[in-house]
Amino acid sequence: MASFVEPRRSNIASADVQLPGVTDYEQVDNEIIATLSPTKGWFGALAVAIALFLMGAAAWIYQIYWGLGNAGYAPPVMWGVYIITFVFWVGIGHAGTLISAILFLFRAGFRTTIYRCAEAMTVFAVMTAGLFPIIHIGRPWKFFWLIPYPNWRLLWPNFKSPLVWDVFAISTYLTVSSTFLYVGLIPDIAVLRDRETNPTRKRILAILSLGWRNSEPEWRHFMKMYLFLAAFSTPLVLSVHSVVSFDFAMALTPGWHATIFPPYFVAGAIFSGIGMVFTIIIPIRKFFKLQHYVTINHLDAAAKLCLVTSQVVGCAYIIEFFIAWYSGNAVEQDYFWNRVFGEWWWAAWIMLTCNMILPLSLFSQKLRRNASWLFILSIFINIGMWFERFVIIVPSLSHEFEPWQWGGYVPSWVDMAILAGSFGWFFMWFLLFIKQLPVVAIAEVKEIVPPRLRSHARGKGLDAAGHHRDYGTETPGEFD
Amino acid sequence: MSQSTGSAGVKRREFLKVLGAAGAVTTSIGCSQEKVEKLIPYLVSPDQTVPGVSTYYSTTCRECATGCGVVAEVRDGRAVKLEGNPEHPVNHGALCARGQAGLQGLYNPDRYRQPMVREGGKLVPTTWDKALPLLSQKIGEVRSAGRATNVVFVDQHASGSFGVFLDSWLGAFGFPAHHQYDSDADLAVRAANTIAYGVAMPTLDFAAAQLVISIGADFLDGRGAGVPHQLSFADARAKLQNGPRFVYVGPRRSLTGLNADVWIACKPGSEDVIAKALLGAVGGAGGASIKDAADASGVTEATLQGLADELKNARPSLVLSGVSTPNAGVVATIVANINKATGSVGITVKPAEPMGGFTGAVGAEQMDAVSRAAAAGTVSLLFVRGANPAYDTPKSMKFAESMAKVPFKVSFTSYPDETSELCDLVLPDDHALESWGDAEATLGMISLQQPVMERIFDTKATADVLLKVAQGDPSAASKFPWKSYRDYLSSRFPGGTASFTQALTAGIASGSVASRDAGAAKITLPSETPAAIAGDGDYFLMVYPHAVLGTGAAANKPWLQELPDPVSKICWQSWVEVHPATARKLGVVAGDHITVRTAAGTVTAPAFVYLGIRQDTVAIALGQGHTAYGRYAKDIGVNALDALGGTWNGSGAVAYTQSRASISKAGAFSPLVTTEGSARQHGRGIAQALTVTDLVAGRLKEEKHHLPGDASHEFLPGLRSPLAADAQGDLADSTAKEQGMYDPKHWSGMAKRRWAMTIDLARCTGCSACVTACYAENNIPTVGARWQGRSLRPGSATDEGAWDTRPGANILKGREMSWLRIERYFEGGEDGSTDFEARFVPMMCQHCGNAPCEPVCPVYATYHSPDGLNVQVYNRCVGTRYCSNGCPYKVRYFNWHGFGEPERRQYAFPEPLHLQLNPDVTVRGKGVMEKCTFCVQRIREAENLAKLENRELKPDEFTTACAQACPSKAIVFGDAADESWSVAKLAEDARAYHVFEELNTFTAVVYLKRVNHTTAVGGAPAATPVSAAVPTAEGAR
Repeated sequence: MASFVEPRRSNIASADVQLPGVTDYEQVDNEIIATLSPTKGWFGALAVAIALFLMGAAAWIYQIYWGLGNAGYAPPVMWGVYIITFVFWVGIGHAGTLISAILFLFRAGFRTTIYRCAEAMTVFAVMTAGLFPIIHIGRPWKFFWLIPYPNWRLLWPNFKSPLVWDVFAISTYLTVSSTFLYVGLIPDIAVLRDRETNPTRKRILAILSLGWRNSEPEWRHFMKMYLFLAAFSTPLVLSVHSVVSFDFAMALTPGWHATIFPPYFVAGAIFSGIGMVFTIIIPIRKFFKLQHYVTINHLDAAAKLCLVTSQVVGCAYIIEFFIAWYSGNAVEQDYFWNRVFGEWWWAAWIMLTCNMILPLSLFSQKLRRNASWLFILSIFINIGMWFERFVIIVPSLSHEFEPWQWGGYVPSWVDMAILAGSFGWFFMWFLLFIKQLPVVAIAEVKEIVPPRLRSHARGKGLDAAGHHRDYGTETPGEFD
Repeated sequence: MSQSTGSAGVKRREFLKVLGAAGAVTTSIGCSQEKVEKLIPYLVSPDQTVPGVSTYYSTTCRECATGCGVVAEVRDGRAVKLEGNPEHPVNHGALCARGQAGLQGLYNPDRYRQPMVREGGKLVPTTWDKALPLLSQKIGEVRSAGRATNVVFVDQHASGSFGVFLDSWLGAFGFPAHHQYDSDADLAVRAANTIAYGVAMPTLDFAAAQLVISIGADFLDGRGAGVPHQLSFADARAKLQNGPRFVYVGPRRSLTGLNADVWIACKPGSEDVIAKALLGAVGGAGGASIKDAADASGVTEATLQGLADELKNARPSLVLSGVSTPNAGVVATIVANINKATGSVGITVKPAEPMGGFTGAVGAEQMDAVSRAAAAGTVSLLFVRGANPAYDTPKSMKFAESMAKVPFKVSFTSYPDETSELCDLVLPDDHALESWGDAEATLGMISLQQPVMERIFDTKATADVLLKVAQGDPSAASKFPWKSYRDYLSSRFPGGTASFTQALTAGIASGSVASRDAGAAKITLPSETPAAIAGDGDYFLMVYPHAVLGTGAAANKPWLQELPDPVSKICWQSWVEVHPATARKLGVVAGDHITVRTAAGTVTAPAFVYLGIRQDTVAIALGQGHTAYGRYAKDIGVNALDALGGTWNGSGAVAYTQSRASISKAGAFSPLVTTEGSARQHGRGIAQALTVTDLVAGRLKEEKHHLPGDASHEFLPGLRSPLAADAQGDLADSTAKEQGMYDPKHWSGMAKRRWAMTIDLARCTGCSACVTACYAENNIPTVGARWQGRSLRPGSATDEGAWDTRPGANILKGREMSWLRIERYFEGGEDGSTDFEARFVPMMCQHCGNAPCEPVCPVYATYHSPDGLNVQVYNRCVGTRYCSNGCPYKVRYFNWHGFGEPERRQYAFPEPLHLQLNPDVTVRGKGVMEKCTFCVQRIREAENLAKLENRELKPDEFTTACAQACPSKAIVFGDAADESWSVAKLAEDARAYHVFEELNTFTAVVYLKRVNHTTAVGGAPAATPVSAAVPTAEGAR
């Protein structure tokens, strides 16, 4: 591309983001709303997702009937694919809140076009993650015992247990992130309502939009509410995954019992979440023809965030090894040696390669601005982050204090079916979402688009008869 | 057409009638779909039986020849637990795993449930009314054909009056005397003992010896009089520096060998020369030179000279033999002469106090004679009872094929074993716990056997069947006036019926049982045959009776299949032991199949790479490879007898070490079904040991095990926290007003106790009897059977391809449920040398005062009781398994499948095994955690009893199941907060330590360090000191 002839050093990750391919409000409405029409490809993808989900559900029913023995657990590895996948999905969720809340507070403009997608991803990822502790436990029909509810036995959960903290963390997170998502959607729902012709849908949208009239007081209240929720969500980004990390850090297990776990997990969560954002947004951008909304600049900025979190995670890995050596604790040393050079070397090296080594490529601006590479890398990051949790959970448990009880672990078909089912469940919700509600925030995009001026409209958006021109896909995403 | 309403439809009243009737039918059908179950087996309770309160009956264990006294706990008419009879002079309350598993013989789901008769080539159920006339008819046919002298009766050897009774019965019909067959018997040793000492099995007093040398005598592997010898051995080791040093001579380190201080790995078949050299060293006649012995045995002259010097210095000493070579009798005779020459007879070897159950047995040679006669067609009628020669004789003998030629074969065996399945008529015997009998376990003492419960199947005691047959025969009736075998026994009992009835309470009485003419057993002076280990091949093949399963009679009991072999830690499988160097040479790793080929046949089994075997020897345990014998035994492992020919050891038993073999890699691989993770401690100080030198010098700490950076050890020894340092923290908070139950001043008084346990590793031999006791007491499911595996792909319960049906599939996944396990760690020997040490550690829940499992449980399913127990509430558990992740000892077990649910495929207690379940302990459902409870049901029972009697608990008033069973008396349980309990004193022992104490778990289990006698008796430190723990960073598993 011609834009690479001269080196470009401008800081793209700033509030000063522009969408040169978007000229007026109507274009925004038209283009975004056009993405809501179902296509064959969408139906196909939804069918695959539902099929995967049903497969996972069937496997779970089978497992409930026959016992957890049908999962791959091999004591002392008492936690396996389910907890790995739980942490994986919780982690995915974090990037969404980071992008929608923290970057909002920091006025990072590149978030505008991707945050809706990321936020929806958060809600559905937490919905997926929340299932796994229940799938994982021996008597899932008793999971409500972890919730403090009044009962005649006067029994409460054990508030010292990190698993109870988890219950609070996950339920809080789900509540807050879904509220945040919904509140942000209100002006957009109002747009849909106004353009809807089907009376039933119009009625539903009217209710969901809470009677949004686009008035100035509404906007003032809305912005205050949005700011408040953003501020409210921000600490959750840090706390929820810290709590998840306590599940491990609070146990004596070598490889788990480390004070670095909370920041390490938070960084990992954001890293994995950004990976998943790429995995989702790049195809959406392509198939929904939104390249002029989610521009290469936005991807570039997100890729920098990805690079930073990758570095933080890599640093945490190295510190773990350093502390194992520095502590002088032979059990810990033995474990970390075994993790990298012992029986689990392959898992550890998948983790290190995907999470530390491959993201180094993002130092190259060329690769940062290559959507295909970002997509490929994001798949590696997803795999790498799943394996990070595998490496934390399985080798630690398999190589604990008591050598007589050292063991191995191989997941079973039930584990794999439920893991696949979780992707089906997640994408089922996500696919349903993107055809019901706008995947790019209409109202916020309009904030970037310059106000409609007469000359502007005449010159670019409308033809002489006042009709919109066709919107080409060949719209550059660069500054001019 | 209805007149009253003019309507053709249904009238209102009719409608209501139909509705009512239909409703009633629906309701009654709805009710009757539930299976009606009886809560209490009695409608009218027998006298002295209170539902929920146990009755105890003294009887005698018949699982081996020893005849230990047992007390059967019977609850609501069902025997639920066997424990040693504390008053019994042989076992003093202890009982081995095999003895305890007698219950699973009683409740074996594959027992014959009624008489069976062969019809159309298959055994089909019949009734006693049809079976007994058939038996009489066949007996009549044989007699009228004049072939009475061709009748053969093979009975399982056991001490007691039955043999005499049987011979008199056989005599009444003109049949020859029966064969008391025992495949498990060490006949050569018994014969040599009889010749040398006048008794087959003298009592051994290990504690009196300064030096014990075992030349292949595996007295801790369940050979001979297992429990009494183990008790004596443990008592000897408990004398610490004053106890004997123990040297084991043999090509393979058995469990006995692993308990030795020194292992001298001699070539198989060279034991006689070594014995001769030792005999020469102590001045006996017929000795050999040390050099000859060194040349023959492959052991250095210095080592043998050292051993000989020690034997000279040690007074008294004890030398034992138990080799199974063709010249076993020669070795045993020389060994007896050594004991005579050292003057140990009467001190360590006590012929004046002989064991009673070891005379009269015959071995496979006699079965060979029967087999030959049967093949020649000269056996007219074959009776077999309990014995299983079609399985436990070498295949080359072709017993089964010969047996097929006998016109009519009658079995009195209770189980569908290989021999019974070939018979034409099966008249199943009562189990020993359902029938009368007696044994003479030591000279001059009768140990009585009585029924402890009503028989559960339609079986009859063989003695009663024989009585009935005799009484139905005009010529024999007059000789059998007794109504039942009980009458026969009581009429012969010293003091008659009245004292018989009186003696039943204690189960023991002085007197002698009727004994058969000694001539019935073959006692020959072993001739001076050379060690003839025949055959070609580069390796010696050593076959040995399994330490748990023996020669296979115990293989149908799931507790014993699940109990890991104490040496290899393998269960539900056969294996070939090879030395690491041999394995390298063959290019095999553990689990690779090895084919062992001899002239007699081949055996293929996975390799177990074992330091404790010579490089030129491979070893296979007996006991597996059944082709029948019920669901738990059939098609598991291989039968090592397939590779053995008919070579006898001079006294009629199979010479188990008789042949050379060639071995090769077979290509297949099966993972070993083992409970072992890593065989090395990695310097973590789990099993600690001291040398005598250090013990005497007061150097009690094994410094090397300490982890750098760990907590201070200043609190040791003893329990650091006599009162529960409770994990909930109430006591830790000194400002708390309400300390609740954890307040030592609380009215419940619970917090004043701290239940604790000491385990003396100097006593523990690793025999694993405690493990079986735990299974029996705590309803622990066995999980290794074929149908208990996990799902491999979606499929229904009956779709066999969908399930992992390998034996031990769950154990391959580490899912064994044994609350108590014996860890066996090796120290030293990394270079493949014979200089290594094995340490056994019984490991169960440590009941930490500061338990890592407790704070992590989200629902308080595990919490701390005020009396120091770490309690698991099954009903509250949701199964997060976080507790197990937190546990450094890894002693928590999860119910992966519905092992306790009859409707599940993985059900562990198929009817009637469930009748054994302890009613005091919950059977856990799937999805919950479980672990050692310190037998909380026993604690509460004792406390309740004390409360009922309005008194305090008496010190040592009760104990846990493991401590009760332990034949080494290594485990002591009690209240460590009360000085008057034994455990409180033992916890203060100088050898005391806690496992992983640096984790500040404040465990309630205190281990006492093992003591190694590394110094030669009366001399300088031995040439082969046992290595101390060496920390290694290797990830070897």
